[in-house]
Amino acid sequence: MTDHQTVSIIMIEDDEGHARLIEKNIRRAGILNEIQHFTDGTSALEYLFNADKGPAQGGPALVLLDLNLPDMGGTDILAKIKGSDGPLKRTPVVVLTTTDDKVEIQRCYDLGCNVYITKPVNYESFAQAIRQLGLFLSVIQVPDSEGHG
Amino acid sequence: MYTRLVPSFGVSEGRMGRFLVTCMAIGFFALIAAGVAAAWSTAQNEHHTREVNHTYEVELAIDRARIAIEQSETARRGYLLTSEPVYLGTYRTAMAAVPKAVGTVATLTEDNPRQQGNVITMRRLVGDLSAQRERTIAAAEAGDRAGALTQFEQETSIRRMRAVRSLADTMVREERRLLAVRDAAQQASVQVFYVTLAVAGLLLVLVAFITLVTVLRYTRELATSRDALRDFADTLEDLVDERTADLSRANEEIQRFAYIVSHDLRSPLVNVMGFTAELEAATGAITELIDRAEEKAPEIVSEDARLAAREDLPEAIRFIRTSTQKMDRLINAILKLSRQGRRVISAEPLDIAVLIDGIGASLTQQIEHRGATLTVEQPLPNLFSDRVAVEQIFSNLIENAVKYLDPARPGRIVVRGKREGKRIHYEIEDNGRGIAPSDHARVFDLFRRSGTQDQPGEGIGLAHVRALAYRLGGVIDVSSELGRGATFRLTLPATYTEAKTDTRGR
Repeated sequence: MTDHQTVSIIMIEDDEGHARLIEKNIRRAGILNEIQHFTDGTSALEYLFNADKGPAQGGPALVLLDLNLPDMGGTDILAKIKGSDGPLKRTPVVVLTTTDDKVEIQRCYDLGCNVYITKPVNYESFAQAIRQLGLFLSVIQVPDSEGHG
Repeated sequence: MYTRLVPSFGVSEGRMGRFLVTCMAIGFFALIAAGVAAAWSTAQNEHHTREVNHTYEVELAIDRARIAIEQSETARRGYLLTSEPVYLGTYRTAMAAVPKAVGTVATLTEDNPRQQGNVITMRRLVGDLSAQRERTIAAAEAGDRAGALTQFEQETSIRRMRAVRSLADTMVREERRLLAVRDAAQQASVQVFYVTLAVAGLLLVLVAFITLVTVLRYTRELATSRDALRDFADTLEDLVDERTADLSRANEEIQRFAYIVSHDLRSPLVNVMGFTAELEAATGAITELIDRAEEKAPEIVSEDARLAAREDLPEAIRFIRTSTQKMDRLINAILKLSRQGRRVISAEPLDIAVLIDGIGASLTQQIEHRGATLTVEQPLPNLFSDRVAVEQIFSNLIENAVKYLDPARPGRIVVRGKREGKRIHYEIEDNGRGIAPSDHARVFDLFRRSGTQDQPGEGIGLAHVRALAYRLGGVIDVSSELGRGATFRLTLPATYTEAKTDTRGR
């Protein structure tokens, strides 16, 4: 991870319990980056596109996205992120959801999702998966915040 | 709409039959009448001919008598003039013939009082004539020729002869008159015959015509009802298609619903399981603390706290775990089911016998373990349908049959099929433990099972099978007797066609 500005993890997840479990397990994996949690699509998009130092302004970020949101489909958010111009477009998006429908998975990758993970229902596997995701996040290269774009 | 078709099938065979029999009876009656008329006419004709003959016989007899009288007269005159014995001989012969000839006439005209009267007159005249003649002949024989001639000249024989002739004519005329009367009668009888014949003929033609028309109409009606029946069959086929489309649409809806529900149930379940795990971890920490506290300062550990940490919490967590695990399995089952329903169907020609052989091979171990046999009754009709779906249907059914065999007797599983129109009926029959009739509908429901729960399973196999059957445009049902075995009847369209759900709105 880059030093001059820490990568913030933007978690868009409507289920408070899931959010808490994800956060706990990410922390257990030793990831200490800031985690911004949004429970609905509208406020998440507001942050992504308009916040000071937000991803649209070049703040390095990584999006954890749930597909089942109360106000809009996760795929809509994905489409907006990947369809935008500028740094936000290059922000890695990890779809973390319960949906394991083949069509949905394909659609997400078509829209430009970087990783698609199905939440295992079994908690041990779930915790395991999130911890591994944390390890993965610790080595992932996020586009430089001092973006060229 | 099919109820409307039914009454038009009514070609009343009973009325029709009675009518035809009546027509035939009339026809036969006409024929008999014609025959009777012919016989009667022939008899009449014969009778007439006899009478005509009779008339001629009478006439002939009258003529003979007249000729004999004339001849005897001529011979007498010859003898009186010449005294030649030749004439005498001729006279005697002729005279001898006269009574016989008159007798013949009398016999022939016995039935006619008028002619009898004439005959009596004739006899009287002939008697007078012969008396006169005998006197002259006797005189001539005695040699008194002159006397005889005088006598001849004085006698009234010419007048009598004339009377005889006129009487004979009268008699002949009488006969002729009778003949005319008989001719008229004959004519009348012939006319009656012809009229009868004409009426009978007309009747026959009429009956034949009516019968022909009726039979033609009947045939046409039969053809119409046959067409109606065919239409009805087609309508029925359409009706079946419609119902099947309804079923598959309902099925689709349920599966969509199941998908959404199961999906949404998963999220809270992740929480329950996740936080249960967290709770377990926390319990571990607390138990450790209690252990340490008990060791170092037992007085601060209350009995309640110890019980809670060592027994109540682990027990509660254990129950939560098993329940959530069960729920997870159920949700997964629903998801699997709904996912199957959302699969894209791709139809291809399927050799069902080969397919079942494959299933049999994969179940060889279980089948052999239970000492059972799987028989495929040939010929087994083939399908043009989705391979995966059909395979899953048969494999679930056969697997169930193997699973629920009765250990008390050697298992026997038979698969057979027959084609009926556009649909194919398959039967999977076993002699296993069977299903109680009250459970026949229930076994196809999700998570419902029947009988002793001694086999593993969640109760989704048959629900799955039914969903697949609906999906392929088919149906499935079961007939079974508890303890005797079960027969699952699967009906699938021979050729899979996409259900036309979009063409028919609600």
